[in-house]
Amino acid sequence: MAGLELKNIQKTYGKVEVIKGVDLTIKDGEFVVFVGPSGCGKSTLLRMIAGLEDITGGELYIGDKLCNDVEPRDRSIAMVFQSYALYPHMTVYDNVGFGLKLAKTPKDVRDQKIREAARILKMEHLLDRKPGQLSGGQRQRVAIGRAIVRKPEVFLFDEPLSNLDAALRVDTRMEIAKLHADLGATMVYVTHDQVEAMTLADKIVVLDAGVVQQVGSPIELYQRPTNLFVAGFIGSPKMNFVEVTVEAVDADSITVTSKDVASLRVPARTEGVDVNSLLTLGIRPHDLLPANSGAIVGRVSLVERLGNETIVNIELASGAPWLAVLDGDQALRVGESLALAAEPAKAILFDKDGKALLAPIA
Amino acid sequence: MTASAVPALKIQRRSLYPGWFYAPAAVVYSVLFLAPTLASLYFSLTRWTLFDATFIGFDNFAQFFREPFLIQGLVNTVIYAVITSGLKVVVGMMLAVMLTSQIMARGYLRSVIFFPVLVSTIGVGMTFTVLMHPTLGMINQSLALIGIKGPGWLVDPKLALFSVALVDVWKGVGLATVIYIAGLVAIPKDYYEAARIDGATKLQNFFYVTLPLSRPATATVITLSFIGGLRTFDLIWAMTKGGPGFASDTVASVIYKQYQAGFYGLSTAGNVVLFILIAVLVVPLTMFLNRKQGFE
Repeated sequence: MAGLELKNIQKTYGKVEVIKGVDLTIKDGEFVVFVGPSGCGKSTLLRMIAGLEDITGGELYIGDKLCNDVEPRDRSIAMVFQSYALYPHMTVYDNVGFGLKLAKTPKDVRDQKIREAARILKMEHLLDRKPGQLSGGQRQRVAIGRAIVRKPEVFLFDEPLSNLDAALRVDTRMEIAKLHADLGATMVYVTHDQVEAMTLADKIVVLDAGVVQQVGSPIELYQRPTNLFVAGFIGSPKMNFVEVTVEAVDADSITVTSKDVASLRVPARTEGVDVNSLLTLGIRPHDLLPANSGAIVGRVSLVERLGNETIVNIELASGAPWLAVLDGDQALRVGESLALAAEPAKAILFDKDGKALLAPIA
Repeated sequence: MTASAVPALKIQRRSLYPGWFYAPAAVVYSVLFLAPTLASLYFSLTRWTLFDATFIGFDNFAQFFREPFLIQGLVNTVIYAVITSGLKVVVGMMLAVMLTSQIMARGYLRSVIFFPVLVSTIGVGMTFTVLMHPTLGMINQSLALIGIKGPGWLVDPKLALFSVALVDVWKGVGLATVIYIAGLVAIPKDYYEAARIDGATKLQNFFYVTLPLSRPATATVITLSFIGGLRTFDLIWAMTKGGPGFASDTVASVIYKQYQAGFYGLSTAGNVVLFILIAVLVVPLTMFLNRKQGFE
């Protein structure tokens, strides 16, 4: 097994710069997820690791080997495509063994490896079928089988669950997590689904417009996003934001207020923050609670009851739409006024450049 | 109304109403295709002129298969169809692979290769007859420049049929290429990328990915060119008129000659033989080529 090292990786198409200098270290055996909105460059970055896209600038190391100009077959990688890319004219057996056949692996060894992969993925009964005779989940499994049979050092997954229905996606996600635990291989996984990212990853890389916004563990990204983009992207429903004015600055906290928010003292990094300057306050919908004396007041515009929780859409005085996720079935009606309290320690302030003013960890 | 009558009524309604929409097409098809086909079947069993017809059973067919030149025409037809369709598949595929890769002036070259398809067959036949002239033709004169004595393309009985077949391929390969190009560009590039990661060379890509996945295009090209080859007449007539002797005669040119000679019954029987030949060869071929492989 091997880790990966990306040093100032860049990609341009003509004059368009799609990957703008990515530095990243992926440790041996780590499960890393690239996440970001459509067009952020996450698939391009994965394809550059695979060798399917040329690297315009920077250095890519797989293990200790500089791989910028190495052919994909010599990178010791395997890739699972979004479309699965199973050859429709070959049986599952032939699909799984295709790479071994090209590598001129002796037939008996090949057979043994194919059957071993089929056993791991519980698809022995599918070996004689063709992809057209398989369900989406089974095809996905075959695609993974084709990857593991080659015993690569790095597995690459390009949005592998996006063609599956919601229930199957959950099952397959668990299977991939189990596979990672069993094989202990380095895995790089691309998705735009933050739930996949949060549940699978040891480390998440959030990308936007070809730039890495933050690298960290799922909980780190959720609790301590470094900027507005990450704060808004990670977490579902997304974080609420509102513009606030600084009322007072202390050594380790900032007190803010606005038309929508009564005075709220938020633990934060205070360097460079002046009284009366404008900041952005971010509070996650799950961190809001109904309270008569709550700092945030708005009018209920929609109530979505999910049984175990209720998502309340509220419109603040400034017109900003906010969400609150409240426990159980709340007796709220559209149009009524609702006061919400937030735990200050969970609120985050962002400066005018969108950088989070996170208080140092105690 | 009984319970069992309800579904019967529904079935009747379902089957009758859409049937009316088929009617206009069915009438046109019957008048223009079924009636002449059935009439041909009948007249092939007669000795007929424009004014009368005498029923003679299968005499025309018996005579057809007794005539050696008619048998040769039949054999030539099959050879011609196999050669032209085979070459169109191979050359068409090669050109399509070339014209879908990153080469210079790709669009221009695609037009150039398709251009002969648009030219009149008779015009092509006449042009190549001149080009293939044994002494004055440009082909043999060009060969002479590099010290090769060119053959008598259209005057050598062993070569004439093949020469016409080559011209047919030259004229028709553009269509095969276009069909293949459409087939090749429809192959998702993920397959090639997966093969590349698995370590496939360009040749392996071709044999393991391109060739099997372009099977629908291959089936179309083979079917179209095989039927075209079996029915060929105009190019043969423009270039050799079936000659020298009967060396390049096909069923269609023989039928035409029989008509010219006034043997209407015999030539109608020839048409029926051609019809049956096409059906017997093409129907199983098409079924074989279009068989399901679990991924269609």
